[in-house]
Amino acid sequence: MVLEATMICIDNSEWMRNGDYSPTRLQAQVDAVNLICGAKTQSNPENTVGILTMAGKGVRVLVAPTSDLGKILACMHGLELGGEMNMTSGIQVAQLALKHRQNKKQQQRIIVFTGGPVKYDKKVLVAIGRKLKKNSVALDIVNFGEADNAKPEKLEAFRAAVNNNDSSHIVHVPPGPNALSDVLISTPIFTGDGDGGSGFAAAAAAASGMSGFDFGVDPNVDPELALALRISMEEERARQEAAAKKDAEDAAKQEKEGEQASSSRDVTMADPASGSAHQVSEKKNELMDDETALLQQALAMSMDDTRSSGLAMGDANMSDTTSDGQELAFALQMPVQENAKDSSNQSEMNRVLGDQSYVSSILNSLPGVDPNDPSVKELLASLERDSEQKNKEDKPDDSGDN
Amino acid sequence: MDSAAASAIPRGQVDLVDFVDWSGVECLNQSTSHSLTNALKQGYRDDVGLHLESDADEQLLIYIPFTQVIKLHSVVIKGPEEEGPKTVKLFTNKEHMGFSNVSDFPSSDSIALSPDNLKGKPVNLKYVKFQNVRSLTIFIEDNQGGNDVSKVQKIVLYGTTVDTTNMKDLKKIEEH
Repeated sequence: MVLEATMICIDNSEWMRNGDYSPTRLQAQVDAVNLICGAKTQSNPENTVGILTMAGKGVRVLVAPTSDLGKILACMHGLELGGEMNMTSGIQVAQLALKHRQNKKQQQRIIVFTGGPVKYDKKVLVAIGRKLKKNSVALDIVNFGEADNAKPEKLEAFRAAVNNNDSSHIVHVPPGPNALSDVLISTPIFTGDGDGGSGFAAAAAAASGMSGFDFGVDPNVDPELALALRISMEEERARQEAAAKKDAEDAAKQEKEGEQASSSRDVTMADPASGSAHQVSEKKNELMDDETALLQQALAMSMDDTRSSGLAMGDANMSDTTSDGQELAFALQMPVQENAKDSSNQSEMNRVLGDQSYVSSILNSLPGVDPNDPSVKELLASLERDSEQKNKEDKPDDSGDN
Repeated sequence: MDSAAASAIPRGQVDLVDFVDWSGVECLNQSTSHSLTNALKQGYRDDVGLHLESDADEQLLIYIPFTQVIKLHSVVIKGPEEEGPKTVKLFTNKEHMGFSNVSDFPSSDSIALSPDNLKGKPVNLKYVKFQNVRSLTIFIEDNQGGNDVSKVQKIVLYGTTVDTTNMKDLKKIEEH
């Protein structure tokens, strides 16, 4: 809820024709600017936002700081590309525009989009930065587009010179499928130093298709919808993770074959104790190696590789969220799914493993797996042995519990 | 004046710290850990460990609005020998000045602080120029040693309020 006047400096240089951010870099910028304006005005109705362009014939102020969102959106139509970005003049003009703001109680902030190359020296930038700091103007830098070697560090030095009490930020956005605005939503540029903008950010995130706070739906208001959204999101995530894992494993699969038998047992035992799969930072390294080993086994299995020997059958019980064969295959390939409960899982697993028919039905549904394959039969036999072992282990546990 | 008199309030004047409108007090280019309150507020300003320090360069721009109209008689600016302020310009009734417009109009008074002043000797101002002061802007242009950082230990403003001025007080001032 900080009362702020913001000047946004848009880069409309020739480099913005590039399509590595869809549809064009300029359009990506304009979308991001729209979102920022909305966030600022929503976090405090007295906030004002102004826009200027840095390239083209020269620095041009499109709209002076105003709280009228319509005016801001309208002025960004028909922006012309051309020329080179003149960042120093742009920032100076922005500073001037902020100096003459109507409400002097507003904090001053400049947001710069640097898409083209930065031809200035670090020294020049630092000098400008100190001047901004002296006049208590905060600066946010969005670094995207052209990425030459010196650009990020120049901009970092620039931000460090302006920074006063962490009020200035820099964001580097690499080209990719995610839109510029989506990446910016989660940054402090949007969330306004922690407070205020988070409500808008969540709404914007929900609107753009990502799940934010409460999946964009309040569970109190509509619990079924919230639940349905959450389940479908988990399914989607599982699908994506499995696809990503598959890509990642192809290279290293060969080396891991030998460790599979022991590691599968380790992983299935460790399953109940651990949390979700892909948050690698939460797992110990040992477990991560086991997971990848496990995945490789599964991959090898599905590719009808005769050298594989262990399969993560413990994953079978994880398939409760999916129903069709394809889903099952992916779920099996994943070592751990979220919400692994403790002892109940273990006994469930044993039951599942012990159920020969269930196991063979799963194997049948796996693409490329021939149940009559000798290695598969061997595997089944070994699993039965495993489940027997686990039963034996369970019994002492149970007796211990009693 | 000996040092004892230096710390005594000039006759008929009051310490204007009670009339400062704290909600509007601003200081440009101050370092966040060493802010204006260290130099201005009662209690803080007498604490030797607390001082006001400049940040990006040696200049400081201090804006002090008052809760009522006052007449400013003299100021005391205390600071360390090397980093204490040297050239100080005062502007009256100019809201929200920036470093870029300090040279746009002449100051109401410009003082060059000597080391004596930095020890606490008050500087008498051109009283005629400070008759009707709603807000005061203090621009510290440079410091004694020409350093990158200016430090101010204490700022005290002496004067009278317009409302409470009565004929008796006026007479005393004239004698001064």
